[in-house]
Amino acid sequence: MFKELNPILHSQLRLAVVSLLIAVKEAEFTFLKDKTNSTAGNLSVQINKLKEAGYVEVTKQFKDNYPQTTCKMTKKGVDAFEAYVLALQAYMNPTTQ
Amino acid sequence: MTEKESLELISKMINKAQNRYHDSGTGPILWGTVISICSLVTYFRILYQFSLPFDIWYLTFIAIVPQIFIAIRENRLNKARGYDDDILDAVWMVFGMSIFLLIFINANIVSTLQPVIEFYKTKSAVSTVPNYNSFATSFFLLLYGIPTIITGTCRKMKPMLYGGVICWICCIVSVFTDITWDMLLTAIAAISAWLIPGILLRVKYTKLQPTNV
Repeated sequence: MFKELNPILHSQLRLAVVSLLIAVKEAEFTFLKDKTNSTAGNLSVQINKLKEAGYVEVTKQFKDNYPQTTCKMTKKGVDAFEAYVLALQAYMNPTTQ
Repeated sequence: MTEKESLELISKMINKAQNRYHDSGTGPILWGTVISICSLVTYFRILYQFSLPFDIWYLTFIAIVPQIFIAIRENRLNKARGYDDDILDAVWMVFGMSIFLLIFINANIVSTLQPVIEFYKTKSAVSTVPNYNSFATSFFLLLYGIPTIITGTCRKMKPMLYGGVICWICCIVSVFTDITWDMLLTAIAAISAWLIPGILLRVKYTKLQPTNV
């Protein structure tokens, strides 16, 4: 029996954001935008969904008189990502289950 | 999105995050240049017996000022911070403090030993008495290698890793050479560990910069 893939993570842009954040301690909004080649509006919406799910922590502050948004994974987010990857592997290699 | 596409996306993004370092190489170029100039000037000064109106090694203290500006600028340009960034910052901070401590320790050893050496020279009439400074260089070269090897390993930067190993090879050789050759070994170490990797980083950084057409 296959586990259902987490619908919050099983979306292209949200998965891309989480995969980037899992590899770093924290990242600025502009970094995520550059690496995912997304628009600011769409990215903002997806980050908000991840934030509402408790997967990502968002900090807004001013740096050199410019607004700066920084994102980092939460423990809940890391656990959800690990569970998502395990579920994906189970789909890919059903014989190992 | 299929499961295979999801895994590919995860892998692609993690790779992108890990290849995020856009070190301009300014810091390594600065220190590679300063240390190699100081060592080479000292080498030629001893070799050709000339004197300078100031100690050339004071350049290392002056170089701290641009280094602070470089660190602030690079910190501002870095849009993501990895788990190893804090560790590497701490490693280089500890390295800088260790260098100052070693200078302080060496100065005290020299001031304590010098009268004994002078006394020994006058009593024994031996002209070639070992100079402590010749051994002091080995400690500096040992220290140069530590943060360089750690950075080269963490950042997967082979030229810097090899440069750090060259520092340690120079360290071993310097135990058996006098102060003149030690200065040449210090220059070789600084060029290998910082100047060459710094130039390579600079070339990579310049290529990655968007051209303003």
